[in-house]
This record gives sequence, C-alpha cells and structure tokens, in this order.
Amino acid sequence: MLTPPTRSAINSVSKRPYICPSCLHRAQRLPLASATCPIRLSRRALQTATDPPKDDAPFRKLLKDAAKKQRIQEKVNGSPSKPSSISRDPRAEKWELTVGIEIHAELNTARKLFSSATTSANDTPNTHVALFDVAFPGAQPHFQKETLIPAVRAALALNCEIQTRSSFDRKHYFYQDQPAGYQITQYYEPFARDGYVTLHPHDFPGGVSPENGSITIGIKQVQMEQDTAKTVQQPPHTHLLDFNRVSHPLIEIITLPQIHNPTTAAVLVRKVQAILKTADACTAGMEMGGLRADVNVSVRQRNVKSPEDRHSYHGVTGLGQRTEIKNLASVKAVEDAIIAEWNRQIDILEQGGAIEGETRGWTLGSKTTKRLRGKEGEIDYRYMPDPDIAPVLVGDDLIDHLRRTLLSSSDSIIERLTEGPDFNVTSKDASTLLLLDDGDRLDYYLDVVQKLDKMLKSRSIGKPELYSRAGTVAGNWVLMELGALFKDSGWSKDRVPSDELASILQHLLCKEITGRTAKRLLQMKFDGDPRRIERIIDEHHMLLIPMSSEEYKTMAQQILEEKPDVVKDIIEKGQEKKVKWFVGQMMARGKEGTVEASTAEGVLRELLKL
Amino acid sequence: MSIIRYAEQYLARQLELANLRTFTRLPDRDFVLDQAKAADQHAKEGDYWAGRVLAIKDNICTKDMKTTAASGILKDFTSPYDATVVKLLRDARCIIAGKTNMDEFGMGSHSTHSHFGPVQSNSEQHPMSAGGSSGGSALAVATNQCWAALGTDTGGSVRLPAAYNGILGFKPSYGLLSRWGVIAYANSLDTVGIFSASLPATQNIFEKLNQYDPQDPTSLPPSTRARLGKYRPKSLRIGVPLDYNISTLHPAIRRAWMQALKHLAEEGHRLCPVSLPATRHALSAYYVLAPAEASSNLAKYDGVRYGSRAEGIDGTPESVLFAKTRGQGFGAEVQRRILLGAFSLSAQAIDNYFIQAQKVRRLVQQDFDKAFRTPNPLLISSREATGLIKEGVDVLVCPTAPTPTPTLASVREQDPITTYTNDVFTVPASLAGLPALSVPVAFDAHDRDQYPELFEGSKTTWAGLQIIGQYGDDELVLHAAKSFPGVDKRSSERRTHGISIRTVEER
Repeated sequence: MLTPPTRSAINSVSKRPYICPSCLHRAQRLPLASATCPIRLSRRALQTATDPPKDDAPFRKLLKDAAKKQRIQEKVNGSPSKPSSISRDPRAEKWELTVGIEIHAELNTARKLFSSATTSANDTPNTHVALFDVAFPGAQPHFQKETLIPAVRAALALNCEIQTRSSFDRKHYFYQDQPAGYQITQYYEPFARDGYVTLHPHDFPGGVSPENGSITIGIKQVQMEQDTAKTVQQPPHTHLLDFNRVSHPLIEIITLPQIHNPTTAAVLVRKVQAILKTADACTAGMEMGGLRADVNVSVRQRNVKSPEDRHSYHGVTGLGQRTEIKNLASVKAVEDAIIAEWNRQIDILEQGGAIEGETRGWTLGSKTTKRLRGKEGEIDYRYMPDPDIAPVLVGDDLIDHLRRTLLSSSDSIIERLTEGPDFNVTSKDASTLLLLDDGDRLDYYLDVVQKLDKMLKSRSIGKPELYSRAGTVAGNWVLMELGALFKDSGWSKDRVPSDELASILQHLLCKEITGRTAKRLLQMKFDGDPRRIERIIDEHHMLLIPMSSEEYKTMAQQILEEKPDVVKDIIEKGQEKKVKWFVGQMMARGKEGTVEASTAEGVLRELLKL
Repeated sequence: MSIIRYAEQYLARQLELANLRTFTRLPDRDFVLDQAKAADQHAKEGDYWAGRVLAIKDNICTKDMKTTAASGILKDFTSPYDATVVKLLRDARCIIAGKTNMDEFGMGSHSTHSHFGPVQSNSEQHPMSAGGSSGGSALAVATNQCWAALGTDTGGSVRLPAAYNGILGFKPSYGLLSRWGVIAYANSLDTVGIFSASLPATQNIFEKLNQYDPQDPTSLPPSTRARLGKYRPKSLRIGVPLDYNISTLHPAIRRAWMQALKHLAEEGHRLCPVSLPATRHALSAYYVLAPAEASSNLAKYDGVRYGSRAEGIDGTPESVLFAKTRGQGFGAEVQRRILLGAFSLSAQAIDNYFIQAQKVRRLVQQDFDKAFRTPNPLLISSREATGLIKEGVDVLVCPTAPTPTPTLASVREQDPITTYTNDVFTVPASLAGLPALSVPVAFDAHDRDQYPELFEGSKTTWAGLQIIGQYGDDELVLHAAKSFPGVDKRSSERRTHGISIRTVEER
C-alpha cells in the first residue's frame, strides 16, 4: 500500500536528523509530494544581539550543505549519524538537560515601533528611515500604538496574561547597527507574562513525544523591542548599513527553563512559530531569518544533589551553571546547538571540570559550540527606563476584543480537522495542511470541503457516509494529487480553483467518473484548461455509464465458464468464500469503477444458484 | 526705526564683543539682514514679533546654522530640521541671530567646557563666569547682542547664568515647551528656557512657545494643559524655604534675599516659612540621575551617521568600539559624566545609586506638593483628595545661586564637586519639573564696604533670586515677579561685570 506522502514525511523525521522536515524529506524521498518549502524563504535576517550574523550564505544553501555533509557522513560511517540518538546515550541517563529559550520574532506591523516610517522587507536600502530611527540629535520616539495589536495577539495565543501597564527600557551596547547606542526593549515591565505552550504528541516527529504525552512549557514573559539595522558585508573591510530595518517591532518570547530534550526544544520553536503565524502576529518567512533564538543550556546529575546545582533561573532552582548560545537562526540550529552544548558540558563535568557561565556561538553544520565571551567579558546592558516614552496602558476592552477575534490556535484547528465527521483527516495530514504555504493550503482545503459539501447536499444524495468521506478524500487530493503537480513550482490556490477540484471530487464520490478520469481532469485544469469540469466531462465523454444487469450476467457467465474447477469447489465442496474471488475478477475486468461489488456478487450467486 | 537698523545694532554689538565667545560662531551678517528685510514691512504694520532678534543656544537644532552643542563631536553638524521652538519663532518672523556658546551638551555651570573656548563676561583683567550651561545666551541678552535668547535648563542652566548676568531667566514647567529638536542631556529634566531683560518680554515669549507639540512625546497634551492653574491671587502667600538658608550661603546673597522678602511683605504679600527637608539630598540625586541619562543619551554619538569621526580604524580587537571617536570628540567634563552615569546604571551600582536617586526625586516632588497651596495637577488623586491646602504657599522665593558671580580664575581652581554645588538651589525645581524664574535683585548697599567687588564704582551688580511655583503655575510665577524691585526697569545704571550696557534703541 502506498503511504501518503505527508505521513511518511513526518514519520521519516523520527528516523533521520531534523532538517526542516517538510523541506528536505518531502523533496528528496517523496516524488509525489510537493517540493515547495512549507514556509517561505526570506532574505531578512533578524539581529538581536551585538554579534552580526556570521553566515551570510542563504539559508537554503546552508540546509543543502548540511544535508550533503550528512550524506557523506552516512557513507563513511555506514549508518546514518543520529544526533538525536543522544537520548539513548547512557550519559543522558545520568545527566539531565535543562534548556530555556528566548525567541525573537518580527511583528507584522505597517510602521516601526517608535516612528511613523513604514516597515519594509526588501526595499531600496535606507528609504524607510525617520529621524529618530537613525538617532538624530533632538529627535524623539513616537510609540506607534498599533504595533500593540499583533503583539497582544501573539501573547494571547501563547496563553499569556496581558499586563495593564508596561513600559520601555533602554538596553545599552555599542554596535554600528544600533544607531542610538541602545535598544529600546521591555526589561522591567514586559507587556505579557505567565503564558505557556503545550506540545502535543502530534507536534512531535513521528507523533511521539519524548515524555509520552503532552508537554507544557511555561513562558515567563513576552516583551516588545526594536530591531537593529541590517549590515551588508562588502568584503574585505566594508560594512554597509541599511537602516530600513531599524526599529522594526519585534517580540521576544522567554520560556522558563523547563525543556529537557533537544527535540522538545526544536518542536517548541516550530510550534511557537506556527502559533504566531496562526495568530497573524508575525511577518511571513519566520523560519528563514524572521526568527532568531537564544538558548540557555545547563546540565545536572539526575537523582544526585550536588552543591554545584545551586543556580536559579527565572525562579527554577537547583540547576547547574548555564551557558547561553546566541543567534540560532533555524529550528535545526536550535536542536543541534543544544545537543552539541549538552555533550560539551557533560564531557567537562565527567572529567571533573566546572562549567563557566559564558556566551557561546554555534554555526550551522558544526559539531561544537564556540566560546564568544566569558562572564568577565559579559556586557552590562545598564537597563534604564526610557524617560521619553510614557508607560503603555492596555485597556481590558482591547484585550477582550483581540481575544474574541483571535484566529483559532493550531491545536484547535487540528482538533477540528481530526475529530468529528466534518473533515476526518489524520492528525498528520492535519498538521501538514497547517504547516504548508503559510496556511494557504489549509484555507484552500477548507474551501474545497465546503464547496464539495454544498454540491453533494444540493444533489440531495441521502448517503451520510459520502459526506464523511468527503473530508478525507479532499485531504488526500489537496495534499497528494495536487501536491505532486505543484512539485516544481510554488503553490497557488488559483491554478486549480477550489470549486473545480470540488466538482471533480463530487463526480468521483458519486461514482460518475473513475479515479483515473479524476486525475486526468485535475491535470487538465492544472495545465490551464479554461473549460468547466462539467463541460470537459461532457465533451470527452468521460461520464461513467453503469452496466446493465444483462451486462453483469454476460460478464459473470463468461468468468464462471473460464474457471470450472473453482465453480466445482464452490458448489460441491461448499467453499462459498470463493465467490469473492469471482467478484474480484469481475471488478478487475470491468472498465474501472463500473462494476459494483455487491451487484456482482448478487449476479454470481444467482448464476451459481446459491 | 527700521528692522534692518535694529538688527544691525545687534550685529555690531556681536562683533564688538566677539572676544567674549558668546557665540559658538558669529552669525553670517547677510543671513541676519536678509531675515530683517523679510520682517521689516510686517514690523512697520505693527507685528510685535516681526524682526525680534533672538539668539539660540547651540544645543537647539537649526537647519540653516550649525548645531554643535559646543562639542567636538558635533563641531560641523548641521541639523536637517528646525527644533519646534525655533520653528515657532521663525513662523512669527523673528530673526534668529546666532547660536550661543555653552558647556558641552549642557554639562557645566560656567560655560567653560566648550569646544569653542570658554565664555567670559568681562573682556578686561578679571574675567567673570557667565554661568552655565546657557552662559552664551545669558551673556548675549545681558550685553545687548540680541533682544532675547533661548537656553536649556536641566539642573539650573538657565537660572544660574541669568543670576550671574543680572537678567531674567525662566525655566517653565517640564513638558510645556517642546523639546523636539533640543539635543538631550538628561531628557527627564531638560527644559527649554527663556532669557530676557524684561518681564513682559519673558511673558510674551513664553506664551508664544507654550504650545502642545505632538512631536515631543513629553509635551503636555491639551487636555492636561486645560487643567493648569489659572489662579491669580492679589496677595500672595510667599514661602521661604528654611532649608535653603545653608551655612555656605554668601552673606551678601542672604542679605539680598532678606531685603527682597522684606520688600515683598511691604507690597502686601504674606511670608510663610516652609520646610523642604529632601532638598539636602536633591543635589546628590541630580548628579546621579543627570549623568545616568546623559550616558545613555550621548551613546548615539559614534561618528557613524553624522558628526566627527576619528581618523583610521575605530574598534580593533584590542580596543572598544568607537572609543577613539568618542575619546576625541567629547571634552573632559562630558567624559566624566558619561563614566559617572555608566557606573550608576551598572548592575552592581544601580540599586544603590540610580534607584535611590529616583526615590529621592519623588521625595523632593512630595516636599513641594506639601508646601504649595495648589495640588500637583499631574497627580489627579491628590487634587481630589486635598483640594487647596490652606496653609500652603503660592510661590517659593529663594536664592538662585549660593554665591555672587565668581571670577573665571576662581572657577578654574574649583574641583568638579565644588562646581556641582553651585546648582544646589536650582536642582530641586528641576527634579520636580516646576516652573522657576530667576530675577535680578540689587545687593544691599550696606555690603559695599565688606564686599567692594560686588559694587563697581557707583553702579550696582545683581544677585539672582528664584521664584518657584507649583507644576503648571507658570503664569503665577511670572505674575509674582511683578512685585520684585527693579525687575521691570532696565536701569541705565546697570552693568554686567565691567561691560557697560550701551543702550540699544528699543523698538
């Protein structure tokens, strides 16, 4: 049996290293599936700390290189190297990992955080810059209150408590991409606190969480802050600055140190990303640069109370000394960096050493983290409330309104798709639909189902089982059949309009056309045939004409005559089950879909006088 | 008299006194006269504002003249826009005649810390301090190099030079005059202030500039402005803060203060002793908070987008990024305050310095709120709770500075801490954001024998007294000044530290 591509796409994740599953696995192993990257690439790279991104190569290339390296590695080792197999390492039994993550994401707003300059992604450099954005003497900030809307939506989607009062602080450090010499952020009074994200088994690769059930990770706070300028390297010595991005609003999401597995960390980042997308809080293309994560990693021995484990982070006590790894630009980077750092810390501790509190870096494809600066070199950011920015007061009416109008969370969408008779798709297909094309695929699917449902109902076919199959069948067609056609090009909902696909499926479900015909129709529409489906069926005489009972009889007679020994078995030895074999023969011989099993069996029994 | 002749008088005066370094650069003659020509007809038609000659402190942005804040790092900087206060004056057809010298970024009390050299208020043997940081603006008005001038007051930078130069210096309530285009020193304290030689001029300029500006996020919105006090009693309750009678107060200043109080009592006002106990901590709090904000506000000067930049590579692995540019661009006092501020904001010190200082700031404000008859309009709850305080006062009257104008020689010998103590009387009103006007009063003739340096020949020099009002009671402060002796007279006897005032023909 053919495994639906989406299922194996997700299944395969558990067997192979985690490289943006929908990108690599679907493309490489599943020719039927769409090779389109589920989340759009963006050239924007988010800068959240002093260190400029070291890798300016496009992320897609990095992924490719990493995958290539992986394959070479597999050849050399004779077996796939599995970073995530660390969890079966006996050392992992001894040492517990603890991770907290800070995720920076770009808010989906029209204007910058403190000026009315418009936000932009790839416009001509330095064309969207207000005086304040480049810190001209005498210029002052103007908080754009509209930026609160996506921020609050994001925080609500992350189950946070929105604070009535929040305020902005200056975080000082010198860097050429930071015009004011400080970043305006929310240090003392963030706008949202105390949220959580629940990771369900279906969020995990293979549908199994490392803790055999749902995992809830607490979110300490969500804060708003400014982005920095973009540095464009002109080797060898020139750095050009594009201030279009300066002061683009960001949110920083800080989790509690409650993550104990690298895969959980990766899944959390991916889930947060999906939640932000669903809440329409963040710009598209987060995965490839609109998102940066910093991770805090510490280890401690399980079941042993060590005086070394005296550290407390965000109120979680008894933890080992942590290190921070900054500027991770992808889900894979998060997972691999944590694994590398986990190994490094255990190595040190097993050799009797001590972990130093320091900031480390990690580049995609490398095996170890690299020390950036130690505690003594740590920047003292000298947080100071910004005297020019009044505290932000958010009314309950706004929060209520945003809560009411918040789009369904990905969890509730998956629940709706998988439970009940409306859609009845598998949870894997549901999460694939959700993940693909920034949610466009899901919208398209919902459209198809709605239209198909209407068509079926208007024909008043009193067959409830038809309705319940509609969702499943539409799911398969939207993901597999249509997905295969879009293999080499970007997704577009207009190429095969949803009502046309619904029309194809309607005829298929009502057994008026064969599956082969349905595929042919899809291909014709995909290739741009402007005719309506009904017209194509009509003009090409595709409609299936059911066999008459005479035709049934003739066919049954012929088959029975061909196999007298089987007939003998049935009549003389009473092996009635062998009737089914004849039914199968009839179905195989008849024009596809013309022979109905129950009718065929009835005719056969009649002829055999059973 | 035509506006052109009127402007020429000031230009001639500026040239004559060029050695005082009143301006960071003298204005271009044609530039000034072109403005005069444009205003002339309007002035003839009776427009009060057309052709008024004003000087602007060099930390207020002007798009057609350099704005340097007297700093090396901005020595060639021209702002792409006009500050709102400048725009308001231009819109009224005033003549902007020069950018005045100052302490770099407003940090100083004598206008000596300037990239363009110190301001001095005497061209002869014993140069005197012009006060600071708006010393250039004060001196320009006092010596008739302009009709009036704008300065900025962060901890006394308008009032102190006004006192030292014998003119009026008004620091309005924080948030009334727009700071858009005013180069920040300590932006929770920075206030645009007004120098002039006459009370009506001060009043008029204040009214002209007292407008809501949506570009300044700290500009008081119209709704709040509407609530500000319109209370104008005929007989005032005048508070005398006993805590200001410090042991280091110069006896001649103390006597001038007492004389003025006596005069006020004779005018029918009521004197009331007032206690402001937090005052003694105000100066320390100010010198923690202002440098802290300064260290932050001045972080933008890195030579990357504008301003001066050090030659060569700045920021090698061995050095700190921008250290070279900032090391060369900032003067010693600015560097001192940046370091001080960076320290008091550092993780190890913030609790003991910055946070404590903020608490003191709140206490200072509460002291004032307890003393005044009218409640603080920014604290609505206290207004509802207290209404008018029966025993409260309308305004406070105290010295502006603890000493008479010092010589530049004595200033040079002072260590920075002693210099900071000059601000002891001006800082509390800054911390609380209150309106304060420094008015000149004559020294008591009895001091002639003991302090002959305060009296030059037959003519008097002046001490500065401060009138402080509740937040938003700016009009009341200006109203109270009318009762001060000599405020409304521009006496021909007046002289500013050895420079005779050649009377400029008034319009």
